[in-house]
Amino acid sequence: MENISLQSSPTTPYFPEVNFNADQGICDLKGESYMEETYKFYLPLINWLKDYTKNIKRKLEVNIKLIYLNTSSTKCVLDILELLKDYEDQGGEVKVNWYYDKSDPDMIDEVEDFEAESGMKIELKEFEQ
Amino acid sequence: MIDTNIVSLMKSKTLLSYRGPFYIELISVFGMNIRNFNDIYINARKKLFKIFIELSQNVSNYSEDFHMVNNVQRIGIGELYLTELGESYSFTTKNQVKVTDANILAERCELVNASDQGKLRELKREQRINSPGEKFGARIGLIQAVMLSRNKLDYKVEEIDEDFSYFSLTVTIDKY
Repeated sequence: MENISLQSSPTTPYFPEVNFNADQGICDLKGESYMEETYKFYLPLINWLKDYTKNIKRKLEVNIKLIYLNTSSTKCVLDILELLKDYEDQGGEVKVNWYYDKSDPDMIDEVEDFEAESGMKIELKEFEQ
Repeated sequence: MIDTNIVSLMKSKTLLSYRGPFYIELISVFGMNIRNFNDIYINARKKLFKIFIELSQNVSNYSEDFHMVNNVQRIGIGELYLTELGESYSFTTKNQVKVTDANILAERCELVNASDQGKLRELKREQRINSPGEKFGARIGLIQAVMLSRNKLDYKVEEIDEDFSYFSLTVTIDKY
């Protein structure tokens, strides 16, 4: 299974940096997310996770450090969290960490909503920008 | 006695005004400038940036006046105005909509304005879960704008002809 690695660029700050590593079972998503056609960007990530949870079936750690995501991106992130919750319900081992900027308390509410909507436990971790 | 609204308006400063297609590259540059206006009101600027992106992308995605890029991508055309007032920032977008959609949008604004924070959070969750996703997004931009600003939406519908209207939307973001 191939890894996904997308670097962020100052000229396209609306795309997040992505590192999905099947060998390590670690998925990192960081930066900002407010691109056009959000679903087209997230679909390969969702398909990668479907593939991993169906075929690799090992422990998975997901680290999200998005300092801003628009509401279209929140829908896609919710789809990812629902997929992870299904994996967990089927016996898969999943850990989700969400790193939020200490000076942006609105993100805490957002993460709480994600937890409530997906049923997936999310570990909130603070960082300073 | 002097009307406080008039005083506030006299002290207003235009920070940004634009009319044209809402390309993502442009939205991104404007957004970066908003974040870097000054070092004070950091919290307000964070909220302003988030609201700016949501409302600008609404114009980009849904304006009935649009450009086609390479016959594939539809980029909405509209206007935006960002003004600094004494105690707040005011952000307005304006774009063309179908007359029927203007009524739906007005109803949505009324619903959002009539809801408190708790009800808004409930509406947001409900709407996001029930959204068809894909190209439709989450359809919670207006709710998010009010939740962040904690101020009501100010909207105006101006008729163009029997099929189309201009829909303008203003959100006020307090500095403190």
